[in-house]
Amino acid sequence: MELTYEPRIVGFLCNWCSYAGADLAGTSRTNYPANIRIIRVPCSGRVDPLFIVKAFQLGADGVLVAGCHPGDCHYSDGNYHTRRRVGLLRPFLDYLGLDKARLRLEWVSASEGKRFSEVVLSFTDTLIKMGPRSS
Amino acid sequence: MTSVIVDNNLHIWLKELAEKYILIAPVTSDGVTLFKHVKAPEVGSIDLQFLNTAVSPKGYFFPLSETIFSIGVERGDVIAPMNADAEVVIFGIRPCDAAGIALIDRVFLAEPVDISYKGKRDRTILIGLACNTPSPECFCTSVGGGPANPMYLDIMLTHTPSGYIVQAITGKGKELTPVTMVEEKDVPSPPTPRIAAIPMEGVREIMRRNFDSPYWDRVADRCIHCNICSYVCPCCYCFDIRDYAGKDKIDRVRSWESCQSAGFTRIAGGHDPRPTKGARLRQRWYHKLLYYPTLFGDIKCTGCGRCVRSCPVNIDIREIIMDVQKLNV
Amino acid sequence: MIEIIRNKAKEWLEKNEDGCVIGYERASDGMTARPVFIYEPHMMGKLIFDETCVHNLSKYLLNRRGTRTAVVVKPCDSRGINLLINEHQLDRDSIYIIGVVCPGMKESHFGRIEDHPLSKCRRCLHHTPAVYDVLVGEPQPETASHDYSDVARIEGMSLQERNAFWKEQFGRCIRCYGCRQICIGCYCQECFVDELDPLWVGIRSCPEDNWIWNIGRAFHLSARCISCGECERVCPVGIPLMLANRKLEKESADLFDFEPGMDAATAPPFATFIKEETLEKVE
Repeated sequence: MELTYEPRIVGFLCNWCSYAGADLAGTSRTNYPANIRIIRVPCSGRVDPLFIVKAFQLGADGVLVAGCHPGDCHYSDGNYHTRRRVGLLRPFLDYLGLDKARLRLEWVSASEGKRFSEVVLSFTDTLIKMGPRSS
Repeated sequence: MTSVIVDNNLHIWLKELAEKYILIAPVTSDGVTLFKHVKAPEVGSIDLQFLNTAVSPKGYFFPLSETIFSIGVERGDVIAPMNADAEVVIFGIRPCDAAGIALIDRVFLAEPVDISYKGKRDRTILIGLACNTPSPECFCTSVGGGPANPMYLDIMLTHTPSGYIVQAITGKGKELTPVTMVEEKDVPSPPTPRIAAIPMEGVREIMRRNFDSPYWDRVADRCIHCNICSYVCPCCYCFDIRDYAGKDKIDRVRSWESCQSAGFTRIAGGHDPRPTKGARLRQRWYHKLLYYPTLFGDIKCTGCGRCVRSCPVNIDIREIIMDVQKLNV
Repeated sequence: MIEIIRNKAKEWLEKNEDGCVIGYERASDGMTARPVFIYEPHMMGKLIFDETCVHNLSKYLLNRRGTRTAVVVKPCDSRGINLLINEHQLDRDSIYIIGVVCPGMKESHFGRIEDHPLSKCRRCLHHTPAVYDVLVGEPQPETASHDYSDVARIEGMSLQERNAFWKEQFGRCIRCYGCRQICIGCYCQECFVDELDPLWVGIRSCPEDNWIWNIGRAFHLSARCISCGECERVCPVGIPLMLANRKLEKESADLFDFEPGMDAATAPPFATFIKEETLEKVE
């Protein structure tokens, strides 16, 4: 049996919007690849850049950070901070030799079950084409 | 008549050594000279014009981080670390660094013997390179060493315009000397370089009487409490042991530590017997100049000068020693 | 210039008897400089100021909170003081800042002074300190624009080349934390590498952990690093740390139009946000 490369994605999903959205994808029986391993956080603003770096160091091929749409954060402004942090981390990691396409920031609301599936499918596809991380 | 190996033959010899052994030699890149594992095709990159490496070669016996053993998560079995069996040649080691290893030997080869350390020591041959040009921070002659001191080496090389003088010091060294590449020539030894002497008399006793002197706090004012001095030193050997859990196994790892960093002596409950900068700084000098000599007879310093060169704020052991002698007044 | 520094420092110390003056004195090699702490006015003759005074002295202010301290600063160092005041780590009123208009520092090592300036000085934009109580030297006109050609060189490499480059550079790291200890922005009571729960890195030195350490530290300094270059100077194995920090500096300037340390009041980028901004988020 030939083993094909299955990218491992770590997803940090905020409890109120994106995690609920992922839940909705499930209850609606919308398929999305099992490549994603979901970690629920209270807010995307909880995501410390160290979480992302550590996930890559431990072998993740891709990291998804998903939160509420800007303006809709359950905690008012958590996702504004997330946007800045990930916005600076992506080019920095790319500069250090970690392709920025491996880190995604998406806004997914609780009603966007279909969109969540589409995001995971698209991300998985991208990562399959990119191949595993070399280091 | 002295045994001499000319540059061309030296190159051939190094290539042979790299093929037969794990050859560790000084290599300079980006302006920094470090000991590196050099493979046979790379022997041209060896830098023998260097003064000394940024970090001492003690890491080849007492590694920066070393897995002592591992425990399998599933069955709780003990997994011994993979031990390399290959013999190692460290080429171009300075007399001060060899002396540093000997100072660590006193501790790690005493009962109970550090098996991993001993294994590495037994498998390693030291080919030394005498110093024709000391650095401004060198002071090996003040601490019982010298730029051409052959002690603790297996072979000693000394550079001259006619080639390298080769001296086999130990049996191991004699076996390794490439007799076919060595010529007998009439080559005078180069003059021993002059190294400024530091007066060392009475330092131990003065330190014994001046433990509570405010001097230590004053010097510590500028210390930033990093680990640089301990880590570049050829004879510092403090470490910590911690367990790191992986998916399948837990590794027990020994890593270097320094008495200079805050929290080095912090214990459970939060108490710290060395809470102040002065107390930590004082410990370094007391260990090197009083405690270790009291136990083993020799000063725990080989005068390599790396701490002087690398200290970001110029804390200079030679100056400390001279200040200590003034404390006597 | 040095006479003015000595006089101002002496005047201040005479008025602040329990205080301390932090400046530069001659190092043990007789030619370079090192930090000095002066507690008595009559010792002020020890102070020097020349092209070997590379050290950033402002970090020592954190050891002396609750006391009165005077400090000699260059423009880069002064930005560090602004950073610390901005982050509520220092009380401005207890510090007396002797700001020096900086001629640029030469590259120096123990016992050796090169005849070229430090690369950070060659591209320095601000020759007048950003904050001071007394200014020594004539304020200079500011030079034109940032030069990020060093960063651009790395940006110009392919992804694989960059990966290999940083793997080699960080591979030399011996986790001495010289960079952290000297850095004015690194003052956490418990650094993330010292945390046991969660355990981010531990004290083990291996390529993966060295990578997290260096990246983590650089990122914790994003939009905070004042480009004093001390981290790179003290690194015993010559890792080009500023090449990483300056990438973040460049991106912060591009994304947030922010230069750290220019004043003590502007909210730093990660403490604030703009609702309508969009940072590039997906390819």
